[in-house]
Amino acid sequence: MTRILQSDKLDNCVARWREAGLTVIGPVKNESSSSYAAVEKAAEFDFSLIMPDRSIKELFFPQTEPMLHYTIKKQRIDTSDFTPPPEKRIIFGARPCDASGLAIDDPLFGWDYKDNFWFQRRDTTVIVTIACTKADDFCMCTSLKLAPDSTKGSDVLLRPLQNNKGWQVEELTDRGRDAFNEIADLLQDGSGPAAPTAVVAEKFNLDACVAWLQNPENFESTFWREISMRCIGCASCTFLCPTCHCFDFQDEGDTYSGIRRKNWDSCSFALFTMHTSGHNPRATQSARWRQRIMHKFNYFPGKFNVNSCSGCGRCSRQCPVDMGITETLQAISTLPS
Amino acid sequence: MKIVARHDEAPGVKTMRVEFQNPTDLELFKQRYRTGMFGLYGVYGEGESTFCVASPETRNEYIEFTFRQSGRVTSALANADIGDVITFRGPYGNRFPIEQFYGKNLIFVSGGIALPPTRSVIWSCLDQREKFGKITIVYGARTVADLVYKHELDEWGKRDDIDLVLTVDPGGETPDWKHRVGFVPTVLEQAAPSPENCIAVICGPPIMIKFTLISLKKLGFDESNVYTTLENRMKCGVGKCGRCNVGSIYVCKEGPVFTAAEVSRMPQADL
Repeated sequence: MTRILQSDKLDNCVARWREAGLTVIGPVKNESSSSYAAVEKAAEFDFSLIMPDRSIKELFFPQTEPMLHYTIKKQRIDTSDFTPPPEKRIIFGARPCDASGLAIDDPLFGWDYKDNFWFQRRDTTVIVTIACTKADDFCMCTSLKLAPDSTKGSDVLLRPLQNNKGWQVEELTDRGRDAFNEIADLLQDGSGPAAPTAVVAEKFNLDACVAWLQNPENFESTFWREISMRCIGCASCTFLCPTCHCFDFQDEGDTYSGIRRKNWDSCSFALFTMHTSGHNPRATQSARWRQRIMHKFNYFPGKFNVNSCSGCGRCSRQCPVDMGITETLQAISTLPS
Repeated sequence: MKIVARHDEAPGVKTMRVEFQNPTDLELFKQRYRTGMFGLYGVYGEGESTFCVASPETRNEYIEFTFRQSGRVTSALANADIGDVITFRGPYGNRFPIEQFYGKNLIFVSGGIALPPTRSVIWSCLDQREKFGKITIVYGARTVADLVYKHELDEWGKRDDIDLVLTVDPGGETPDWKHRVGFVPTVLEQAAPSPENCIAVICGPPIMIKFTLISLKKLGFDESNVYTTLENRMKCGVGKCGRCNVGSIYVCKEGPVFTAAEVSRMPQADL
């Protein structure tokens, strides 16, 4: 039996989850941008956004976070590890591309050395995704073989009702079921008709692109220089991307005490790969853009069997010079492999 | 780890020997460390830098590493004194398959500050000398002053079971320099080691590697018998931070030790 969550009950749900000790997070718009942020009341949510400007990534892999604290005494160093706060969270209103992005990065943070900063947050966060009924020209989930109602990475999928007064509830995991059991009495049995999911046109032929990228002869193609001529190396695409995971370590402090931080980093930056000698394997912006595309659609799937892109389109949507993954893969689609 | 010895090798180049303060860490290191692996050496407040472990697996009670002072972390390391404590993460990466070298002749070719990774292999072999055939070491630097491990070069030069060929770039010699003058690849070709039953281990700046590979090819070496170690910028060492890759190969996980055959399959523009 399908159950319905009515919009006018959402505020009660938020209150109930908060009483149960959950931090409630969702799409929130402020003056300059939008992001997934903690709320106290349902009225703070903005479900009209195609998606928040900032991706869901920062809730699991913050832009900067302390890893350890050190104090140095004569011939002795004491360190204490930071661990993410053990808060339980529910993200209400994630977009399917954002939820998928998290699932895409799980194998990366989990292989070989398990990154507890990531997994502790993954394990204590319930992700309630709302299927998209609207898309814009930058959305490209379907080109990545995902969909506006993909369930990948989600604990619960909600489908907006046609009358726009609530959502059909599809519980996908035990974690999702537990969270919705908290509010079971606020749900209604029955099923109103769901609004049609957004139509997201396929923008490029992924298989053809991947075949082109996998051909070693194309590594040094002049295509890379042409397509990335405009790139100013600002790394907006990296920072807004739900799957970009590269990071840097920096120490902050003095000789006696301080913290070591993990910060977002980007393959767009020349310093990312610069050797001490001055030699830089990726010395030009085109080599760095090639790395970004190759990593997402050739190297990452080679290792983890999944493309490092969920098709949110933020890289193109927010690019100050109008280039992104969409434009690049569209151009590759037209090249002979 | 505590610094127990430090040595000035060349202008700006130092070697440190560090020992574990905690016996469990030492035991773990001894279980895991094999020649070729690397580590991240750090000073809190400054950061971490990646260097190979320059001491061999046959001497695993301590770690030696050699570095050139050039930035924030290496300056802090250079300023550290005996008794000071620094950090070490590792050992990471793969190793030289030394047991596959048993019974073979070995030629080591190295340039400048790239002798440390080679030196780790050299001592691993010298410490079980009877297991190998002829050992030849070709080592060069820009100037006489830039040669590192000078005391060990003297020691190797005196041994009759090692063929040591030293060279400096033209103009880098001193009046009392008794060895070769010339670039490493040229001197290697003059030394003309036979590729028969021989393994080559080469390490140096990218330009030296490039021309040494050409010379070895000329001498008849098969790429699968030539080993090298790649040193890319790294931060995490565990395959996540995303910068050390050459094409799809992550140097921190799949390397740093590769055969020349493996290197030639990598996208050359990414090296």
